[in-house]
Amino acid sequence: MAAVGALVVFSLNVLSAVVALLTSYYAYRFNRLASSPLLNAITFGFMLLGVGLLVEAGTSVALGQTLIELLVSKVLATITTFTYLSIQMVAYLIFAAGYAVLAFGKSARAVAAAATVAVTPRVVELAGLYSYALVSYFVVLVLLAFVVFQGALIHSRTRTRFSSLVLLAFVLILAAHVVLLASVVSLSGVLFLVGTATQFLGFVSLLVFLLRSGRVGAG
Amino acid sequence: MGQAEKQRSVLRINLDILNAIREEGDAKPTHILYKANLSHERLVKYLEDLTTKGLIELRQDGENRTYRMTTKGIEFLIEMRRAESFVQGFGLAI
Repeated sequence: MAAVGALVVFSLNVLSAVVALLTSYYAYRFNRLASSPLLNAITFGFMLLGVGLLVEAGTSVALGQTLIELLVSKVLATITTFTYLSIQMVAYLIFAAGYAVLAFGKSARAVAAAATVAVTPRVVELAGLYSYALVSYFVVLVLLAFVVFQGALIHSRTRTRFSSLVLLAFVLILAAHVVLLASVVSLSGVLFLVGTATQFLGFVSLLVFLLRSGRVGAG
Repeated sequence: MGQAEKQRSVLRINLDILNAIREEGDAKPTHILYKANLSHERLVKYLEDLTTKGLIELRQDGENRTYRMTTKGIEFLIEMRRAESFVQGFGLAI
């Protein structure tokens, strides 16, 4: 059963990682034309997220256990899991900073950097990786809530089919992290799989966005 | 120069000019001027720049001057439109 769960997590995370890295590539490519701090954030954020997802996928398949099963069996103290959680947190922090710069100007970048410096040591000081997993999922949740809020504001102003797909992707990823946090709190492997699947649906929405926006141009 | 023109980026103006030329096939300067909403002076400057970059070419038939997209220009326009769709997804504009 554990191996099946690990295989599901591996498959969904590899596919999600491919979409994240594709998004990062397109953001980088188009940033050369339309230079923007948010596109920079999207380039680095999705690149980190893609790498993080691959690390988690690799951990799951190598150990034959999902993150939650690792927590239960106290084998969480693996550098890969710590790395994944850290990368994920930094990636969403970059997204949040990108949207903050778009909404509040460049001073927001300094605030975001200061917040990272202030928060990180406290997170690291926490005893045990279980606490770290709990805190990192909570931090990601707060950051994603901010990204979704900014995305909703932008969508209400622009109302394009593209911004609705990106907003849907972030809403699904936010919902996924609510479930993932609940899975860490309750140490539920089933909830963890549901959260991973929901996150994958978020990346599917992002893939639809990439395909549709990529089709534009030849007309 | 109008307020809208002041706020447009160089990239946006180039995109508007290329769209206007693509729309017509062989576009007269007056058509481009109208569609891209530019003053004559600025239009001449942008057309010269796009011609130098090899994105459009000038065709002169007596008094009749028209501009046409080159293959490089068409490829650039497609990339620009894709970029525009992508950045729109994140609430940005070119």
